[in-house]
Amino acid sequence: MHGGSWNGEHGRQVGDQGMTSLRIDRLTKEFVTEQGEIVSALSDLSLEVGDSEFVCILGPSGCGKTTLLRIVAGLDQPTSGAVLIDGHPIDRPCPKLAMIFQEYSLYPWRSVLANVTFGLEMQGAAVARRQEVARKYLALVGLSDFASHYPYELSGGMRQRVAVARALAIEPAVLLMDEPFGALDAQTRNVMQMELLGIWEKTRKTILFVTHSVDEAVFLADRIVVLTKRPGKIREIVPVKKCPHPRDRTCRDFVEIRRHVLDLISEGSAD
Amino acid sequence: MKIVKILAVVACCAVLLALAGCVASTPPVQSGTTVGILYTGFGTMPTLMATKQIDGYIAWQPFVEVAPMAGFGKVLSYTGDLPPDAVWKNHPCCVLAAREDLMARSPDLVNAVTAATILSTRYVNEHQEESGAIVADWLAGKGNFTYGNISVSSVDAMTRAIYTVKFTNEPTDAWENGILKFMAAQRDLGVLKGPLSNSTDDASKALIFDTGPYRAAIQMLEGKRIVTPAPETRQLGIGYLMSDHDTALFVAVKKWQYFNDTYGIALKPRDPTQSKPDLVDLLVNGQKVAEIKLVPGEFGGPLMQLASTDTIQFVLVGNPPAMASIDKGNPVKILMALNTEGSGVVVSSDAPASDWPSFLQWAKERSDAGKPLRIASPGKGSIQDILLSYTLKSSGVTVKEVQV
Amino acid sequence: MRRLSLAFPLLILLAWAAGAHLINNEFILPRLESVAGVLLDPLADRLGTGSLIENALRSIERVGMGFLLAAAVAIPLGIAMARFRRLNDLLDSTIQILRPIPPLAWLPLSLAWFKIGLTSILFIIFLGAFFPILLNTIDGVRGVKRTWIEVASTLGARERQILFRVILPGAAPTIWTGLRVGFGIAWMCVVAAEMLPGTTSGLGYLIMYAFNFGQIQLIIAGMILIGLIGLMIDTLFRKIEAKRFAWRELER
Repeated sequence: MHGGSWNGEHGRQVGDQGMTSLRIDRLTKEFVTEQGEIVSALSDLSLEVGDSEFVCILGPSGCGKTTLLRIVAGLDQPTSGAVLIDGHPIDRPCPKLAMIFQEYSLYPWRSVLANVTFGLEMQGAAVARRQEVARKYLALVGLSDFASHYPYELSGGMRQRVAVARALAIEPAVLLMDEPFGALDAQTRNVMQMELLGIWEKTRKTILFVTHSVDEAVFLADRIVVLTKRPGKIREIVPVKKCPHPRDRTCRDFVEIRRHVLDLISEGSAD
Repeated sequence: MKIVKILAVVACCAVLLALAGCVASTPPVQSGTTVGILYTGFGTMPTLMATKQIDGYIAWQPFVEVAPMAGFGKVLSYTGDLPPDAVWKNHPCCVLAAREDLMARSPDLVNAVTAATILSTRYVNEHQEESGAIVADWLAGKGNFTYGNISVSSVDAMTRAIYTVKFTNEPTDAWENGILKFMAAQRDLGVLKGPLSNSTDDASKALIFDTGPYRAAIQMLEGKRIVTPAPETRQLGIGYLMSDHDTALFVAVKKWQYFNDTYGIALKPRDPTQSKPDLVDLLVNGQKVAEIKLVPGEFGGPLMQLASTDTIQFVLVGNPPAMASIDKGNPVKILMALNTEGSGVVVSSDAPASDWPSFLQWAKERSDAGKPLRIASPGKGSIQDILLSYTLKSSGVTVKEVQV
Repeated sequence: MRRLSLAFPLLILLAWAAGAHLINNEFILPRLESVAGVLLDPLADRLGTGSLIENALRSIERVGMGFLLAAAVAIPLGIAMARFRRLNDLLDSTIQILRPIPPLAWLPLSLAWFKIGLTSILFIIFLGAFFPILLNTIDGVRGVKRTWIEVASTLGARERQILFRVILPGAAPTIWTGLRVGFGIAWMCVVAAEMLPGTTSGLGYLIMYAFNFGQIQLIIAGMILIGLIGLMIDTLFRKIEAKRFAWRELER
């Protein structure tokens, strides 16, 4: 694949070898509170995610976006509907999908390298191969020098990079990211966004990225799926193809799209 | 209704106060002499004496002898010399008891053990110094006892003590009657609540004694031939007190070679390097007949308890704990004596008493002054306790247990 | 910090030495020298029970065995109880009732059930170590962050792998604390346990034996030795904790 700008066009067709389809089909999630009330988190939500697409899921707090991501990851079960990857329904965590959490996800008793090799260890890969793969991805996230360090020695941003490397190491088709930069300061956040784009460019993963930051969504996504307040339904899907990467936050298209999305969100909150 | 409740509460309070008044504070005016008895193990007695919390104690040897040797007390009287004379001279002390089921199942084995004990008792009487050293080894590894800043050699203490213990086995009529006297004392103390609480003398003797093994053993020894018992498959146990009253056992084990060679019977220790062997083999006529563990106990009560659960089958113990246990239904019998006398009363070094009459005088003075004497005794219901209580009472002294 | 924690015992020793000379009654306060004399001759036979060192080793052996037994039962049980709600509900009240009972109180029952010998002693020591280990294991497993477990799931770990690669390492510092506390209590039970008839060795036994003969210097020497050994082992636990479980503190 070429480096430089990415104009959002699919370079490949779905169904080709090595390509992944992710389909969310009429997903509904209800749960019963302690008081016995039935609360609807997601309602009849459907979405198709294309191969190598960067999709952001955006919405006000409590709109069910994290619930959605967890169901896709196989950590929770839907009340009705299904999530299909390459045609197979997801009912439990699957190696084709890797999830990156917001914080506290690294194993503090393991070194950085040992964290990154974790998934491969679970799969039974041999020591030499695990380390080789791990180092490759550590290099990708720019942390080669920190292989023997421990999580407590790293900054928040670095830890999230390790988390990304760890997820990439099992070579999943899809990355599920749950507000991964939410706990970082603004500066680091911007840097991490750039880095993520770089990694995405190099690895061509499909990314499903949950955030409540409009700015972040517009900066990163191919498409933004805006959800309504609970129960979460799709309000609108906003394409951001007009702006090539790296996006200029001050350019007119960016600002327009951002305003549009903001309106969608505030309308949704007002309902 | 409320009135009734209030009255009830007041009545209860009144009763409680009245009871409290009866139990607490000023004792009623005594016309006679009172002596307090404090029950505690010997271990605390030297400290209690030295800190003037007791004025004396009664104990079994060697705990009597160490007092003058270490300088924290003096011997007032050995128990055999306590009044009344007719009662306590040659008073029975420790006995050999055994479980009835073992006696029924393996009479030859019980007879053999009895014989071994008789032989060993004879040896003790003929070799007192050597026996004293053996006891010192067994009980104290021949080490020193330190009381205060004076160290006493255990060998010296044991050899001195051994002369005050009379080692004898024969279950004579006088001896049996002596034991019945202890039984009578136990009845008065309320210790016996079962069949021994009101049985006739003959009935009591039938319940308590079985001299069959003794007679069989004597016969075998006279005929110079000990019957080899059938080998015993399970491990047996002999319980004993940490006292030189059980010297016969210690000598039997330590001098096993001699007994083996001379009489063809021995209690051979598995590990002869132990100063206190805990496992022996009973050898008769060169054959190993049983494996026996030796279980030490601090008091008779716990040892009898072990006998009742068949953990041990033989006990070398004071006769009162044995009788109390038989009374409770423990299926054991007393076979013969191990020793008579061998205990003593010790008072503080500066006590104004050197014999029983002066002791009574001292007791009266202290009692009148409102500070009655306190004497420590090991174990309620033990021989020492019974001896002391009865001697005091027969001298007109009121005995009261000291509550700590 | 280290200096300060050495200073206080030294102060106590000085007070003891001075006090003993002032009181001048060995029965009330034996002189420091006489007790030190006993401690400084640890290989000499004491009243036929063996030397201080021998008895110490016997006690350590027993406590070690009882402790390991307790850990072998408590850790798996704790993991199971933390994992299976129903099991926890089933056992919780029983555990809360049994926990406050001092191991010493079990002596007569232990003797009746296990007869005289090693087993009855191990039972008492087992009881002492069991509850801290169990409760800390439950706590530790419950404290394992859900995120850690979910990360492992999404990276392809199966239940068994999650148990050994996430839950146990994550709970390890808390479990280790439980082990340390449990051992401390088990060590305290040594004296009680070795009071059982049929015991013929050990520091607890030595102390009881010395007590029966009124040998105060020996009793105090035994007490000090028990304290020192307890301290040594606790320090060992802490050192290992600092080395391998430092991450827990540093995470905060």
